[in-house]
Amino acid sequence: MSAQPADGGRVVIVTGGSRGLGAGIVRSYLDSGDLVATCARSITPEVEAWMADPATADRFLWGSADLAKAEDADAFVKAVIAKWGRVDVLINNAGVARDGIHSMFSDDDIDTVVDLNIKGTLYVSRAVSRRMLARRSGHIVNISSIVGLSGYRGLATYSATKAALDGLTRALSRELGSRGIVVNGIAPGYLKTEMSHGLDADQLQQIVRRTPAGRLGDPEDIARVCQFLTDPKGGYLTGQVIVVDGGLTS
Amino acid sequence: MSTAPADVEQTIREFLTRVEKLPEALTPDLPLYADGIGLDSLETAELSAILEDDHGTDPFQGDELPQTVGDILSFYAA
Repeated sequence: MSAQPADGGRVVIVTGGSRGLGAGIVRSYLDSGDLVATCARSITPEVEAWMADPATADRFLWGSADLAKAEDADAFVKAVIAKWGRVDVLINNAGVARDGIHSMFSDDDIDTVVDLNIKGTLYVSRAVSRRMLARRSGHIVNISSIVGLSGYRGLATYSATKAALDGLTRALSRELGSRGIVVNGIAPGYLKTEMSHGLDADQLQQIVRRTPAGRLGDPEDIARVCQFLTDPKGGYLTGQVIVVDGGLTS
Repeated sequence: MSTAPADVEQTIREFLTRVEKLPEALTPDLPLYADGIGLDSLETAELSAILEDDHGTDPFQGDELPQTVGDILSFYAA
């Protein structure tokens, strides 16, 4: 028997919310009073803190899941439904990067990046959009990357998967728009998270010099745009990918 | 909700009312698509999700898609 949220908080799923950008997005929705579920393959101190904090423990759900496996993705979404009865917001954030010259890339590295970044996102989106269809409402945000638009040396597979997510955003927005489900994407620039691990200090300094905002991005910069795109009153902005990169690609 | 035929039929009726496709007579042999009820692919997906939410399983996840109202009732009766 599912326990319906007693207050007005939204039920939010953030995939890959145990660290980095995903953790920043989880924190943002917890701060706005929502009920937040997240999953990743391993637990982190941040997740343990949300589970233990009396201010968030009742509004936070953690699930260990490898979203590259359809059965894990389905089980995680079912656990959220069992606990809170619905999903109002899905932030598809889970992703992994492997860097290297593509002509030397291994099969395993290609599979790892494609399986999580594309297939994992498709699995979760399928499970959640079914529930949103039944309720005829919902907001989905796919976190892609500016490298899906511009490309980046050494990130061919990662760039390809992020461009795929932008295609998913446009297709799902067309498919689900008539049912009150809003689908948008965010293409972050370079952030101060471990996802920039493939870049050395010189590359990061070069990026900062070329960025009009004069700095790398913070998870909070992206979380604020997530909140804007998932505002319950926002139903007319859909099918768009918002570039949030401090002006780097402007 | 149970999987009793009356409950499943009620779910179908409520859904068809919502999409404004409830026929005068909802008979078991009535086709779900085309010249029958006329569900399109998105409406079929909605019905699939609602049936799963309300009755625990989804008749559209099997090897053969239900073709008639009776096929859905038979799935839950099995």
